[in-house]
Amino acid sequence: MSAVTATKDRGWIIALIPLGTLVLFFVAPMAYMAAVSVFKNDPAAFFKPAFVLDNYAKFFAPFYYSISLRSFVQAGLGAGIVTLLGFFTVLFVSDQSRWLQRFWVILLLSLLCLSEVVIAFALLILFSQSSGIPKLLAWLTLWDNPRSLYPSFGAMMAGYVMLGFSIATLMLFPQVSRRDRAIEEAAQGLGTAPALLFLRVTLPMFRTALLAAFITLFVYFLGVFVMPTMLGGPQNWNMTVIIQDRAVERFNMPLGAALAMIMLALTAVLAALLLWLNRQQRAEDA
Amino acid sequence: MIRALLRSIFLWAIAAFLLIPFAIVAGVSLNPARQIAFPPKSVSGAWFVEMVTDRGWQVAIWNSFSIAFIAAMLATSVALLAAYALWRRDTWLSRSVFALGLAPYMVPPIILALGASVFWAEVGLYGSRWATTISHGVLFVTLPLVIISRGFSVLNREIVDASNISGASPTQTFTRVILPIIAPYVVTSFAIVAIISVNEYLISSFISGFTVETLPIKIFNNVRYGYTPVLAAAAIGFAAVTVGVLVLVSFFTDLVELFGGSAPEDLR
Repeated sequence: MSAVTATKDRGWIIALIPLGTLVLFFVAPMAYMAAVSVFKNDPAAFFKPAFVLDNYAKFFAPFYYSISLRSFVQAGLGAGIVTLLGFFTVLFVSDQSRWLQRFWVILLLSLLCLSEVVIAFALLILFSQSSGIPKLLAWLTLWDNPRSLYPSFGAMMAGYVMLGFSIATLMLFPQVSRRDRAIEEAAQGLGTAPALLFLRVTLPMFRTALLAAFITLFVYFLGVFVMPTMLGGPQNWNMTVIIQDRAVERFNMPLGAALAMIMLALTAVLAALLLWLNRQQRAEDA
Repeated sequence: MIRALLRSIFLWAIAAFLLIPFAIVAGVSLNPARQIAFPPKSVSGAWFVEMVTDRGWQVAIWNSFSIAFIAAMLATSVALLAAYALWRRDTWLSRSVFALGLAPYMVPPIILALGASVFWAEVGLYGSRWATTISHGVLFVTLPLVIISRGFSVLNREIVDASNISGASPTQTFTRVILPIIAPYVVTSFAIVAIISVNEYLISSFISGFTVETLPIKIFNNVRYGYTPVLAAAAIGFAAVTVGVLVLVSFFTDLVELFGGSAPEDLR
């Protein structure tokens, strides 16, 4: 006991190192970006310290509204598809043998870690006239004059799905694989039809988890950069691409920072919602 | 019976969607022709040879791996300390450090990238590999934090008490008792951060994209300005390393368990 008391007072020092690192290299850059968002643009340097709200005012223009709307629609659609497909995958995988489960976990983890760039490149090849689906369809004489299927909305969405799939499944996996199967078996024993069993018993068990996965993916897809630029056309570019364009290609850091701040505020709202959902979930589990 | 079959078909279809693009890239990378084409007419490793002997690719590989190695050390150390602090004493300080460590995961990468680039520009390290390394190391702290905390949650406090009572100093207890037990989680964290860092595009491109070309940046730039099968070789080499490391990790860490799957005895 004495050893524990002796070390007690020094315990907080250990927490200070990670705290300092995170504050310096994560919080400070975020704070500095907030400051830059009210600076004046200066083509000679990056920016000039000032306090102007012009950068924020620019957001309230039809152009940015339509970009925002497009970002939301794309992120929402992607998150919906991925959550649905991912949920069924996890549901079925969790009943497979241990060996197959390990195969899936490694496959999903690999995808989770694999570069957006590499995934986009693989899809680009898949949709290309020279080596992918168009060539296969032509070979099967199903398509007379094949051409590449990118850039297109569909190709980009395929990219979203492939990118987000691992996140959704790995998020849902713990809960789904540890679910109380006795409930489903009881309902089955009572003669509930499979479709009804799924809608009334299985699905409600994961309502909160599914919503959490959806929001996480939504936030993630708002920030996707490589998929729209590599697989989509200019008509598919989202807010992230526009921020990169303003900040890097057009050297307007303050405008980029202001747009990023607006996006951050939105993310914070969604994150708060997610935390609240988590708490709900814990209350339900208890 | 039919339902089980339908389920299998669904799963195989999903697996096919996730794997076929890479199978085609692998085919393209083995085709000796100059143009990207699939299926390959003959098989050759020429593009892989070109990738590892070409100066530009060598530099990109070196950049990516050196940044990833140090970033993984940094992220794992920070996560280890934060998780240890929380395990030792559950105070508002240790809890806020933990929460702060989870935050970068929730922020879209474009925002982290923009923040990092204005920060490093102000500090004077914009365009330096050290800036990218440190940003990777700090911003990818979340997964190690979660994984190492899971390691601490299985650590039996009685063993630690026994060590303390036997007269071991806190440092001795940490290095001789705690560290060996949570080592698999630390190694897994290191591997995962290294993989994420090697694969990351947006943050490295914002901080030092013009001066330090990493593998993803090189691939992205090449795709934009016309590409050759070397790119396919690079992409598939990349995927192979990623999968290889994860398979290796799976030998000493139960990944299914780590990612929350049910324990074997739970399965019917």
